[in-house]
Amino acid sequence: MTTTTAVPLETWKSRRGYSMRRAVAPYLFVLPFIAIFLAFSVYPLLFTLRLSFTNWHGSGAAQWVGLGNYTYLLRSDAFWGSLANSGMLWLLIVPVQIVLSVIVAVLLDNAKLRLRGFYRVAFIVPFVTPLVAVAQIWIVLFDQNYGAVNGLLNLIGLPDVGWLVTSVWAKPTLALLFLWKTSGFIIIILLSGLQAIDSNVYEAASIDGANRPRQVWSITVPLLRRTIMFAVVLQTLAVFQMFAEPFVVTKGGPYNSTTTAGLYLYNHINRADLGTGAANSFLLVIIVMALSLGFVRLLRAKD
Amino acid sequence: MTATAVPTRRAHRRPLVGSNVFLLILTLAFLAPVAWALVSAFKPAAEIISDPLGLDLRGLTLDNFRGMFHDVPIGSGFLNTAVVLVIKGAITLFCAPLAAYAFAKYDFRGKNAIFGTVLLTLMLPTIVLIIPLLLEMKQLGWVNTYQALILPGSVDAFAIFWMRQVISAVPDELLDAARVDGCGEFGIFWRVVVPVIRPGLAGLAVLTIMNIYNDFVWPVVVASSSKMATLQVVLSTLAQNITGHKVGADYATVTGELLAASSIALVPLLILFIVLQKHFINGILAGSVKG
Repeated sequence: MTTTTAVPLETWKSRRGYSMRRAVAPYLFVLPFIAIFLAFSVYPLLFTLRLSFTNWHGSGAAQWVGLGNYTYLLRSDAFWGSLANSGMLWLLIVPVQIVLSVIVAVLLDNAKLRLRGFYRVAFIVPFVTPLVAVAQIWIVLFDQNYGAVNGLLNLIGLPDVGWLVTSVWAKPTLALLFLWKTSGFIIIILLSGLQAIDSNVYEAASIDGANRPRQVWSITVPLLRRTIMFAVVLQTLAVFQMFAEPFVVTKGGPYNSTTTAGLYLYNHINRADLGTGAANSFLLVIIVMALSLGFVRLLRAKD
Repeated sequence: MTATAVPTRRAHRRPLVGSNVFLLILTLAFLAPVAWALVSAFKPAAEIISDPLGLDLRGLTLDNFRGMFHDVPIGSGFLNTAVVLVIKGAITLFCAPLAAYAFAKYDFRGKNAIFGTVLLTLMLPTIVLIIPLLLEMKQLGWVNTYQALILPGSVDAFAIFWMRQVISAVPDELLDAARVDGCGEFGIFWRVVVPVIRPGLAGLAVLTIMNIYNDFVWPVVVASSSKMATLQVVLSTLAQNITGHKVGADYATVTGELLAASSIALVPLLILFIVLQKHFINGILAGSVKG
């Protein structure tokens, strides 16, 4: 292929205007994106960075406070509390989600499974459903007095649980919402990783007499490591940025037990404490980046 | 196929029964909340609360929907969402692959710096940009306008990142062959790259439509007037609206109308997804195999 095209390409390349056009083209192609990106991402980002060193409250003159907002946050219990809430949610969500999704993806990867199409659609329905609708449904389903979930519990003789109104249960209930909403997407991503694995590997293993769970653990999981890593990083970003779910369902309560890092950040903004909010944004970005890099390192180290 | 499949299937029969039972139970759990909401929306409001699990087929009613249409501007919500969806979707689907093509297949000055910035914004919580963006919109006089709903975020970092992955997989020989045939640089993108990456584009289309349709944080902030409110904004402020419109609106009424509105909001997307699910899933598969 390359040898046949090499000759005419060389003569064509020598034509006037070729290299010019080829040099200018990429700039024109990125131009619409760059214009939108500069105006609505880079400019606001730089604005936020400058804001994070001031005590601006949305009107009047901004006063330069240096690193004041950052040191305030790093000394604030509420800031660390919001991170702890997000960390707790991460623990409740990500390990369960990854294990569950790997199992489902492996089962769905079987060509002999007849209802494959149905399962794939069913798992992704929550992911497609608008979050606001899901949140409203969750509020009604998990209502302490009138909710269907407590109705089910009563049927089997268990007492009502204050799912969204007690600080013990609010986090798991929120975690369940997130798990339910996003697992379909993770399953599809893992499925794409599985399809890249050569099926000959399994044949060799079944000849060696390895049973299915063993095959999955010792062959599939290691080969799937890069895809799993991608999913973990994606979900870590999502969990630490989680804002809309607690905002609609619990408003951060009860007793701040569901004030996630994302919601805490929003609370500054809502109080027009823009400087602190901006500083909080950058601290959150640094933490999320460090966590992502940590996971990448951890999973790479085993290679 | 059948002749050889029979013995293997018999050999694997037990594990498959096990998988099916496990998957059926799990999918039921995944579908139950949505199914419950869709069914309950047609129950009399008082019954949703007094008997959340029961279903009396003769008692089904459209009262929740009637009340909801009367109380909140859901029609104009749909219209606003449709306008934003069409224009913003077109911008994303044209600009993101075009820029991604430049990142994947050309060398130019500043490429790595620009792409690095794109990746950085991927890590940024979306709410970080909301204040400065809102101030920018105020300066431009764009608050409560379509431009404000459409332009920010119309070419997002994830779309560029994903499309670059997809386009990298297109063989260079294909592009060079088109060049030999006298195709211009844009012609190569339009007539060679776009047809080849169609599955990935279809995936991006579904994901983009979903994101725009479901977006609510930015619209709540920038377009909260009832004339400009998108469907999700209408939905998110529904509870306050109902209690505001109806003096003494009770919990049951609010719940009934909430479920009716949620059902109306999720049905178009569910239909779209079921129709396009193959493209969507194949699109994601096309995009992430390399990653």
